Amino acid sequence: MFLASREIRRAPVRFGLLAGAVGLLIFLVFFQQTLLSSLLNSFTGALQNQSGTVLVYSSEARNNLEASVLSPEIAAKVAAVPGVGQVGPLGEATMTLLAKGQQIDVAVIGAEAGKPGQPTKLIGGRLATVPGEGVASSEAKSFAIGDTVTTAAGGSPVTIVGLTGQSQFNVQPTLFVTFDSFTTLRKAANPDATMVWPSAVAVIPSSGVSPKALATWINAAVPQVTALARSDAVANAPGVSSTQGSFALLLALAVVVVALVTGFFFLILTVQKTAALTLLRAVGAPASYLVRGLLQQVVLVLGVALLVAVGLLVLATAVANTGLPLAIDPRALVISTVVVVGLSLLGVAFSVWRVRRIDPFHAVGRPGLGGIE
Amino acid sequence: MKVALLELRRRPWRFAPAVIALVLLTGLLLILGGLLDGLYNGFTGALRAQPGALLSYAADAKLSVVRSRIDAATTAQVERVPGVEQVGGFGTVLLGATVPGQTTEASVALFGYQRAPRGVPAPPEKTGQVYADTSLKAYGVKAGDTLLLGPKRDPVSVVGWVSDTDFLLQGGLWGTIDTWREVLGSARPDQVLAPGTYQVLTVSTAAGANPARVAAAIDVATGGKTQTVTRSFAVDSLPGITQQRSTFNAIIDTTFFVAALVVALFFILLTIERVGMYAVFKAVGASSGQLFGQVVLQAVVIAVVSFVLGALLALAVGSVIPPQVPLQFSTGRAIEVAVGLVIMSTLGSAVSLRRVVRIDPATAIS
Repeated sequence: MFLASREIRRAPVRFGLLAGAVGLLIFLVFFQQTLLSSLLNSFTGALQNQSGTVLVYSSEARNNLEASVLSPEIAAKVAAVPGVGQVGPLGEATMTLLAKGQQIDVAVIGAEAGKPGQPTKLIGGRLATVPGEGVASSEAKSFAIGDTVTTAAGGSPVTIVGLTGQSQFNVQPTLFVTFDSFTTLRKAANPDATMVWPSAVAVIPSSGVSPKALATWINAAVPQVTALARSDAVANAPGVSSTQGSFALLLALAVVVVALVTGFFFLILTVQKTAALTLLRAVGAPASYLVRGLLQQVVLVLGVALLVAVGLLVLATAVANTGLPLAIDPRALVISTVVVVGLSLLGVAFSVWRVRRIDPFHAVGRPGLGGIE
Repeated sequence: MKVALLELRRRPWRFAPAVIALVLLTGLLLILGGLLDGLYNGFTGALRAQPGALLSYAADAKLSVVRSRIDAATTAQVERVPGVEQVGGFGTVLLGATVPGQTTEASVALFGYQRAPRGVPAPPEKTGQVYADTSLKAYGVKAGDTLLLGPKRDPVSVVGWVSDTDFLLQGGLWGTIDTWREVLGSARPDQVLAPGTYQVLTVSTAAGANPARVAAAIDVATGGKTQTVTRSFAVDSLPGITQQRSTFNAIIDTTFFVAALVVALFFILLTIERVGMYAVFKAVGASSGQLFGQVVLQAVVIAVVSFVLGALLALAVGSVIPPQVPLQFSTGRAIEVAVGLVIMSTLGSAVSLRRVVRIDPATAIS
């Protein structure tokens, strides 16, 4: 132990550079993890944080709210399924709206006041109760309470009466309005529209019925629809699994690189120190002592690297302009840390093996010590 | 040089760790590149195939095909702009399709078109007939099949095949304007468009006309009702295309960097282990350049062997991936990966240069 820490003190630049490099790589892992959870939240926050615990899509929509259309007859069939408590239409469409003089793409979600589908993460103001009122996602900073937004042509004004958190849809500014307002905005965007049907139906089960059970019953009773418990609707939303897959690949790559860098570095150190370690073994140092020293160095380097990574992450989330509301997810961070440390220790296993197989007898073969090779 | 190659031949297992890592990285690079190409083609095929240099969207659609609507009066204004040679309208609707004999619905983009895109015949003779993109074969679609589209299960029959015409990763179906309009009205009543109204116009410019100037003239002539852009600009403006490309390229660049890192660390280790041998070589007259040349040669050979094995690995993975996954291998991408790998391996091995140069021949006798 004494030797291990003394070596670090004697070569602070070498170990400092390694800790810095590994810290940067771990920061990459942490930042990607944070980006992923923020991105997923921006994709599906509006579904996750609305009051309907079961969402019913048309079966041909393939779990995509934007591709789903339900006729009033099918919506009525869903409402008649035993176990359905409250039910309400849910409309969703991306529209070009005029906010603060700028045309912006907005995901507009319409739900009848007082019925399932209302945003649940209100952070200011109140819910929309009458046509012409809206609740906006706070993350995009495109809206403030009291603002009025209109269609691109300047019609159908909607006054912002509330702000929500973590309620974006498809990584767009999101506006929750009454279903009547939604219909008005759709017709204003396309005057040729013959009618505006809901995209989905939001349901709250009767007391004692679980969302998953109700979803199963609805699927059995109404073959034209796909009913999903809210958590399943979020997990199966388009883009979620592909985003998770892409990031998983990136994260795996970064973690492997951390393990490789750490493993190779300590292997190089071990090879360079083989003569000295052989001498130590020859004068009585047990292999376990040398291995403990090596592991102590690894843990110290990783500890400093983790501190560097967390510091950089806090800094980056504060200043990064990603267009996403970045929020650190402590649980994901802990999991990443465990994986990185675990794999890094695995990466130095070869160095440990090399240390353990050092034969003290080789010390007497060294010409510098008077031996004959 | 001979020594380097002899060592590779006589002690191949010594290089196994680096080769294994590079084979995995090569496979990853080829699969990532294949996915990027497949995603790009699947997203943009329908727009890339459009005739004419320009596309005119409704100004408030922000270059979204499905949100754009251009009425007959605006189309007439576009046709009268000097430099405009030919104008045609098209529209699309994104739907699920029931395929005969299949349990999984296919994702389709039904197009109605006036002017035939590249590789697509003139519109079918009858309403209800469509040409299907070959990508839909992965969903079990066959020629002569009747597909049922949207929530009302509107039938269309497949009368032929086209390729590279998908849109937003949905299989392209190409029919008459009437077919599209009927299905749109049935499946998406809130998106229905009046007769004579299209979502987007394709515009061909007259010989010698400057497309950028014609585009600007169109938008002026329509009083700002249109946003006219070049086809390539429209392709790049599809949602997610730029981000998708930059994300994948970032992963690919990182993977190349990792490859260089692996090679660098491997050859540092190898050089440390060979210090004694290199000292002897120097003592008998070998120059640092010759020794370093051996390191680089070995790195290049390792990169080439790894690329070949990695390509086989990628092909094996590609053969077991479901056909719905948009994975497209191309020779161009393979050459890019091979060249990149050799360059990064050479750069990685160059890190050992300093150590090779510093080796003192005198240590051979100490």
